[in-house]
Amino acid sequence: MNRAIRRLSLACLVMFVVLMLNVNYLQVFRVNTLANEAGNSRVFDQQFTFQRGEIVAAGGPGKQVVIAESRPVKGGTYQRYYPSGYVYAPVTGYDSIYGSTSPFGTTGIEHAENKLLSGTAPSLAVHNLIGLITGKSRVGATVYLTISPAAQQAAYQALSAFGKPAAAVAIDPRTGAILAMASVPTFNPNAYATSSSVELNKIDLRYRHDPSQPLLNRAINATFPPGSSFKIVTSSTAFSTGKVANPSATIPAPQFYTPPGTNHAITNDGDAPCGNGNPQIIFAFTVSCNTAFGKLGVTVGAAPLYQYANLYGFNDPNLTIPLPVSPSAYPQENDPAFRALSAIGQLNDAVTPLQEAMMAATVADGGTLMRPYLVSEVQAPDLSVIERTQPTVLRQVLSRQVATYLQTMMLSVTQNPAGTAYFTVGPTVTSIQIAGKTGTAQHGNTGGLDDAVFTCFAPYGSPQIAVGVIVKGGGFGADAAAPIALAIIRAYLGIAH
Amino acid sequence: MLSFAVAIMACAYLSTGLGLNGHVPSGLVVYILGFAVLMAAAHLTVRKFAPWADPLLLPLAAILNGLGVVMIYRLQEAGRNGNAGFQISTLTGHAAIYQLMYTAVGVAAFIAVLVVIREARILQRYTYTLGTVGLILLAIPALLPNSLSNIQGAKVWIILGGFSIQPGEFARIALAVFFAGYLVAKRDVLSLAGRRVLGIDLPRARDLGPVLVIWAASLLILFFESDIGTSALFFGLFVSMLYIATQRTSWLLIGVLLFLLGSAAADLIVPHVTERFTIWLHPFAGTNATGSAFQLVQGLEGMAFGGIFGTGLGQGLPYHTPLVQSDFIMTGFGEELGLTGLMALLLIFGLMVQRGLRAALAVRDPFAKLLAGGLAFVLALQVFIIVGGVTELIPLTGITTPFLSQGGSSLVASWMVIALLIRVSDAARRPAPQPIQDEGLTQVVRAG
Repeated sequence: MNRAIRRLSLACLVMFVVLMLNVNYLQVFRVNTLANEAGNSRVFDQQFTFQRGEIVAAGGPGKQVVIAESRPVKGGTYQRYYPSGYVYAPVTGYDSIYGSTSPFGTTGIEHAENKLLSGTAPSLAVHNLIGLITGKSRVGATVYLTISPAAQQAAYQALSAFGKPAAAVAIDPRTGAILAMASVPTFNPNAYATSSSVELNKIDLRYRHDPSQPLLNRAINATFPPGSSFKIVTSSTAFSTGKVANPSATIPAPQFYTPPGTNHAITNDGDAPCGNGNPQIIFAFTVSCNTAFGKLGVTVGAAPLYQYANLYGFNDPNLTIPLPVSPSAYPQENDPAFRALSAIGQLNDAVTPLQEAMMAATVADGGTLMRPYLVSEVQAPDLSVIERTQPTVLRQVLSRQVATYLQTMMLSVTQNPAGTAYFTVGPTVTSIQIAGKTGTAQHGNTGGLDDAVFTCFAPYGSPQIAVGVIVKGGGFGADAAAPIALAIIRAYLGIAH
Repeated sequence: MLSFAVAIMACAYLSTGLGLNGHVPSGLVVYILGFAVLMAAAHLTVRKFAPWADPLLLPLAAILNGLGVVMIYRLQEAGRNGNAGFQISTLTGHAAIYQLMYTAVGVAAFIAVLVVIREARILQRYTYTLGTVGLILLAIPALLPNSLSNIQGAKVWIILGGFSIQPGEFARIALAVFFAGYLVAKRDVLSLAGRRVLGIDLPRARDLGPVLVIWAASLLILFFESDIGTSALFFGLFVSMLYIATQRTSWLLIGVLLFLLGSAAADLIVPHVTERFTIWLHPFAGTNATGSAFQLVQGLEGMAFGGIFGTGLGQGLPYHTPLVQSDFIMTGFGEELGLTGLMALLLIFGLMVQRGLRAALAVRDPFAKLLAGGLAFVLALQVFIIVGGVTELIPLTGITTPFLSQGGSSLVASWMVIALLIRVSDAARRPAPQPIQDEGLTQVVRAG
């Protein structure tokens, strides 16, 4: 009988080994999957018992500002507090009691950096372990953002003052660091920090059903027709492919242009002629002739135009900053009639304000598009640096030469008395040399004003900031959007100088 | 060794109090002294009545029992006396002191078994009596009306007033004795080989009778009492003992095959069983996580929450898992003591099983050998079924975790099993009596 008992004891051994392996698998390898499982009541219960990390707006030369913090309340728990909630809402997002247990439990940076803020990221494991041994409770990491408090504040105020749905993004063209990201109308993230689920559901329902869409981050998650600002892409394509030699080269610009294959004529603003009908490209750009660039779009060809749009960042569904960015659209238009319209930013073209800022930033940085980012540094509770973002090149879009051509042309838009933005951001208004391009886009809806677009960088000689602004229903780009961009630039450079 | 076990229990208890609210728990002296006195009594009994017994078995049982009491104390305190969390609705505020009382009853049963049963083979005389008793104990809940036998869907109880016992826990011991006696008598017949198919000696068809009877019985338990775990344990007990008795692999194969067949049939026919399979395969699918698989999912998330080192006693949130004090107590340990704690507990169980099997190997009496082998194996099987169940390794079936789970029946029965194993190990390790005189040799008289 002993042989059988020995075999059975072997079977017992196998059973115990299998149990132990499974427990190891469960408590080591499945920890994260299970922790992120929807409705995990332990994660839910625990989130307020420790101090979540701060979010700090630390960009630009000015003072750093804490924009999200956890304050102790009675009962040994903490409550999230956003000191300037509305101003930074598109950046911070909110952190509700549903935390990571629900897909809408957190948004914005609160969502993207949740693991570091909550202290559950693997890179914080050692710190947590030390905390466990020394008996300190878990504290989340502090997330430092590239956001400049001055620029953000200015952007929010300027956008709110206009009173229309609008958004603005400012980038440091040399690094890709996002200096401002504002969107109106917006929401109060403090309303989401309530510990009452009844109250939370009430406020969430109200925001979600609000027709003005306050939860929508228009800076990166809404697209608008780019209008004439797309002429930057069309010009870039023309210079880079050699179809146009330099800004002084002339291009055909009839008063009315009917592209092949259609009866529908493209006109300029107010049906005006464009110079002498064969102006230098810099003049057509400065006064924003539609006929010249519509015809130029047909001339450069479908594939090159599509290629340069993509280089600038269009049609990229995977960009994260680390918030996911909705793709800007430029479909390849093989039909010349459609391409003529797409070359002047109409038809199916759609951009985010971030994409507008990226276009100006590319030109400003000598043709190099830096990867846009929001998080500059993450610090553990003991102030050691866990992550630090190194600026990286996203793509080389233009040659330095072509970038210089574009810079010259964009400067002319504001400095030439005939330029579309001369009266709003030109030398009569500010001593800062701003180089930009206006856009006034018909969004298809009859009635109401057009969408106003302005993309620019400054100062011209040594660019430090690139801004993209879109005001829905704002009218002319120069009238509505350009002053907002100027306010942001002034606020940002005003500190530097 | 035993004082170590008591010390660990004491430290765990203290740590629970500190973890819960930073204070030394008020009942500290009562719990620790009470437990220490009980273990001392058990120890002295072993010294007196089984002096050659395996020295490891009692301390192992003691440490498990002690930790079980501590965990139940921790769980009863959740949401009470100003502690974090919410009260577990199925657990009263006196659960831990009751568990300590059950421990006293268990130790009393342990002592009684050691005192009354001086030799394992005494039990052999009562083979058929105990067999009948075992079957009756098993059948009672099935025959009683639901109001007297059904708690949370498992019809395995006898409810008498405010008191309830699980007769199946005791039936297992009675049946183990019965199987041992029966198989010792019939092992020669059963090991007669029939035809040889594919290199395996099949038993003769007529010898299949008893296996089929037990199989049918365990299936009946399953159908009438909706208790897959217990039925698997009985069947496992019988098949393993049959295998030990006959050494025929064919019995093992037939047993496993019949069990798989039975569970497959149950999966198709019994809705309760079908649901268990679904929960096991897709705990997070659809609304399972908040519905039928809620308990399993809470257990899993609790263990994941504990991670490698656990949250520390009193600092986790095990009260989220329904019935964490009974079937799911291992997930409670996994949450608060972490992977390290669970590995230690599994090792303790493993050692206990191994010590039982070693006693079975060493003892000469075939009846004691069978009894100890069967009991030790089924202990391993029980741990495998419940721990495997709550960790999503196998479909979940509700059985208790020996020594740890809340509840008197399981605890008392576990102590009785340990008493029997100690009895067998005592016989196994007892030195052979010194021969007074060797025949054929001249008696040597040592001088000086």
